Amino acid sequence: MIVAVSGINDTDNPGPGIGIARSLKEADGNIKTVGLSYDIQDPGNYMDFLIDKSYILTYPTQGWEPIMNRLLHIKDSFGLDFIIPALDAELPQYIKYQKELEDFGIKTLLPSMEQFELRSKEHLQSVSETLGITYPKTVKVFNTDQLKEALKEIGFPCVVKGNYYKAYIVKSMPEALYYFSEISNEWGFPILVQEVVYGEELNVVGAADKEGESLGLVAIKKMTTTHLGKIWNGVTIKHQKLLEVAADFVRNYRWRGPFELECIVKDDEITLIEINPRFPAWVYFATGVGINLPYRVLKSAYGDDVDRRSDYESGKVMIRYTYELITDIKKVSAFATKGESDE
Amino acid sequence: MRLENLAINKNGFAFDPTTGETFTLNETAIKIVELMVKGESEKSIAQKLSEEFEVSSQEAFNDVLDFKERLKLYGLIS
Amino acid sequence: MSKKEYEKPVIIRVESGFSKAGVPLPKQRVRKSIGGVSINELVNKYGSPLFVFEEKSIRERYKRAYEAFSTRYPNVEFGWSYKTNYLKAICAVFHQEGAIAEVVSEFEYQKARELGIEGKDIIYNGPYKPYDSLMRAVKEGAKIHIDTFEEINDLERIAKELKKEVPVAIRLNMDTGVYPQWSRFGFNIESGQAMDAVKRIEAGGVLRLNGLHAHIGTFMLDPHAYYVETSKMVQFMNSVETKSGFSIEYIDVGGGFASKNRLKGIYQPPEIVVPSIDDYAEAITSAIYENIHGNRYPKLYLETGRHLIDEAGYLVTSVVASKTLPDSRRSYIVDAGVNLLYTYFWYKFNIELTEEKSGISEPSVINGPLCMNIDVIEDSILLPRLKRGDMLVISPVGAYNVTQWMQFIRYRPRVLMVMEDGSVEIIRESEDLSDIERREKLPKKLEIR
Repeated sequence: MIVAVSGINDTDNPGPGIGIARSLKEADGNIKTVGLSYDIQDPGNYMDFLIDKSYILTYPTQGWEPIMNRLLHIKDSFGLDFIIPALDAELPQYIKYQKELEDFGIKTLLPSMEQFELRSKEHLQSVSETLGITYPKTVKVFNTDQLKEALKEIGFPCVVKGNYYKAYIVKSMPEALYYFSEISNEWGFPILVQEVVYGEELNVVGAADKEGESLGLVAIKKMTTTHLGKIWNGVTIKHQKLLEVAADFVRNYRWRGPFELECIVKDDEITLIEINPRFPAWVYFATGVGINLPYRVLKSAYGDDVDRRSDYESGKVMIRYTYELITDIKKVSAFATKGESDE
Repeated sequence: MRLENLAINKNGFAFDPTTGETFTLNETAIKIVELMVKGESEKSIAQKLSEEFEVSSQEAFNDVLDFKERLKLYGLIS
Repeated sequence: MSKKEYEKPVIIRVESGFSKAGVPLPKQRVRKSIGGVSINELVNKYGSPLFVFEEKSIRERYKRAYEAFSTRYPNVEFGWSYKTNYLKAICAVFHQEGAIAEVVSEFEYQKARELGIEGKDIIYNGPYKPYDSLMRAVKEGAKIHIDTFEEINDLERIAKELKKEVPVAIRLNMDTGVYPQWSRFGFNIESGQAMDAVKRIEAGGVLRLNGLHAHIGTFMLDPHAYYVETSKMVQFMNSVETKSGFSIEYIDVGGGFASKNRLKGIYQPPEIVVPSIDDYAEAITSAIYENIHGNRYPKLYLETGRHLIDEAGYLVTSVVASKTLPDSRRSYIVDAGVNLLYTYFWYKFNIELTEEKSGISEPSVINGPLCMNIDVIEDSILLPRLKRGDMLVISPVGAYNVTQWMQFIRYRPRVLMVMEDGSVEIIRESEDLSDIERREKLPKKLEIR
C-alpha cells in the first residue's frame, strides 16, 4: 500500500502531512509513504524515516492538469494507491477531481463539493444554527472601502482573515489595512472581517467513512500556541457538548473524510470559528492517545472493518518540540535537478 | 573569482562552499563555466560552442555575454 | 561527426520561496494546433503575430449555453453582444446559430444592419443613443432599452413625429449584493426611480413599455447575484403590471458570465472558481419560476458575450529577443504588445509553447514591442530558455481584445478563423499605412516635397 500525503512542511507553521505519515507508519509498517511537496526546503523531504519518497509539485494555482500529470508520473514510477491531501489551497481541486483520480486507480476519502462549501462564510452561519451553536459576526470584503465599513460595524479588536489561510487579530485601522493587503496579495479575495469571541479555544478532530458514519473523534484544548496561533502544547479533553456537536455535524451532513472543527467555548456556549475539511497539523496527537484517524480513513476507504471508538482519556498532553536533522547537500541537489528525492 | 570554487555535480547542481548558495545549470552553462575557469576569452568560448553544438558562433557569442551578465548579478564573477 | 543540439546556457540560483526556479518543473504547457491546424503552419503562411479564432469552438459554446437555458426555460433567445467582438465573421457565426444582435451604439447598430440583421432583431442598449439613430431604430422596429429620462423625451418626440405608438423597454439597476454595483445605467429599483420612469412613460401616452432590461456587472463569479437580479426584475414586472396598464412581454437579464480566464489576484484556478453555464442558467430560470404570478411567461433574453467567445480566441506571438534584467530575471521581447491585449489589465493569461522544450525553467517576463514600460504581457512566469522565433500562444483572448485594441506605433495583425472543416480564412487583414492615413489631411503649406 502506497499512500501520498501533502503538507510535509513540518516548520513553525506546520502542515499535517508528517503527522499523517507517522500515524500510518505506526499502524502498519508495510505502508509506504510518498511526500507531495511544493518546496525543496520542506523538512518532510528529508525525513526519510517517515517519508519514503518525495516529489515536488506545481502550485495548485497553476491548475489541476500539471498536478494530475505529476500524480500519474508518481503512480507509474513509484506506485500510488491512496492520497490524503491536507492543505487548504489544494483541497478544492482534489475534491473536484476525486472521481477522475479514482478512475486512474488512485483512491481518496474526501467530502463532496457541497459538503466542502459548508465551510464558506455564508454557510457557516446556517451550519451553526443547525447544530445549535453560535457563529461570530463576519463580513466579507473585497476592497478597502468595504474593509473600513466592516471595521466600523464590527469594531476593534477584530479578526482579519483570508479565505484559505491566515488570520490576524487587529487593533487599529492601519493594522487592518496592512493585513488586508498582505493576505489578499498572497491569497486573493474575499477577505473576512470577524468579531473576536472570547473563551477557551477548543478543537475537535474527526473523520467519517464513505457512508457518513463517524470513524472517531478527539477533542483538545490548545495550551500554548505560536505567534500564528498554531498549537504547540495541548491537552485532550472530554467536553460533552462539544463532542456531541461534532457527532451531530457528521450525522447531519453525512460528512465524508477527515475534518477539524475550531470552536471557542465559554461554559456551555459554543461558537464555531471554522470547519477544516482535512486533518489538522496536530492529527498525531489523536493517534498518540489511541485514535488513529489517518489509518482508519485509509482502511475504511477500502471497505475494511475499522475501530470506530473514541475512548481516549482526557488529560493526555502533547508537547511539540524542535529537533535537528543533519543531512548532505546531495539530497537538496536531487530535488533541485530532478524535482524528486533519490530512491 | 568565486566561480572557480563552484562544485558542480553531473546533474548540474552547483554548491558554493564559500557562501552556501546553490545553483542549477544546464549542460551548456557547465561547459561555459569550465572554459571560463580555464581563462578562455568570450570569443573563443563561443567558437568552441559553435564547433560542438548546432549554433552559430555569433549567437553563441551573445549567449556567452548574456550568461556572464547573470554570473555577475549572482556575484560569481566581478 | 554531427553537432549536438544546442540549448542556450542557463544558471539559476536556488532560492527559498521560489524554490521551483531551477527545478525541471512546471512542465510548460504546449499547444501545437488550433482547431486541428498546426500553429507553425499558420505562422509560416500568415506571419506573426496572429489572432486566431476557432469556429467549431464558438458554435459548440453557443449550443451548450443555449441548451442550458432552453431546457430549463424554452422561451429564451440570445442577443450577441457586439462590443465583446464585432468582427463580421464572429457576429455571423452567432447569427447563424440563432442569436439576434445586441448593440450599444449607433456604430454597432450600423454594423448589425450592414451584416443583414433586421431592425426587429436588434436590441439597442447604451447610455447615449444619438437622436438620428433612435429615429432609425424606431422606424426599423428595434428593441430600444431606455437608459435615461432624456431618452424618454427623445422617443416621445419621435413617436409624435411618426404618429405611432412606440414599444420600449427600460433598463433597471439594483442591489444584487455584488461590488461594485452598476448603478449608473438605467433606473434604480430600490429608490423608486424605476417605477417613476414607468409612470413617466405612461403619462406621456405615446410609448408602450413592453420589456425590462438589466445588466449587473462583468465577470460575475457568483451565480446567486443573477438569482437576486432576476427575482427583483420579475417582482418589478409584477408590480408594473399591477400599477400600470402595461404588459411586460420580455425581460433581458444582460450578460456578465465569466469565461475560464484567470483574474489577477485570485489564487484558485478558473476551473475551480468559474461557475458552469448550468449554474448561471439554474439561478436565472429558477428565479423566474419562483417569482412569476399567473401563468404567462415572458420571453427571456440573454446578452452573454465573454462566456461565448473568450475561450475561442488565441493570440500567437513570436520571441524576437531576450535579455537578462538587472534583477536577474529574463525578459523576452515578443512581437505582440499590450495594445492588442486590452484584457491583460485584469487577466493573467494562459501562456503556452508550441513545442516541448527541455531544460531548466527560469523566472521570466514577457514584454511586447512597444516603447513603453507598461508593455508587460506577463511579469512572472517560469519558462525554459527560448530563442528567437519560438512561439507563445496566449489565451483566452477572444473577448474584448479585437474591439478594444488600439493602433499604436505598429499595425494591428491579421485575424484568422480556423473553420469547422479545417480550412483557414482571414477574417481581418493586417493593417498597412493606408489604413492609418486614410483619414488624415496634410495642409498644403506643411507639405515636405
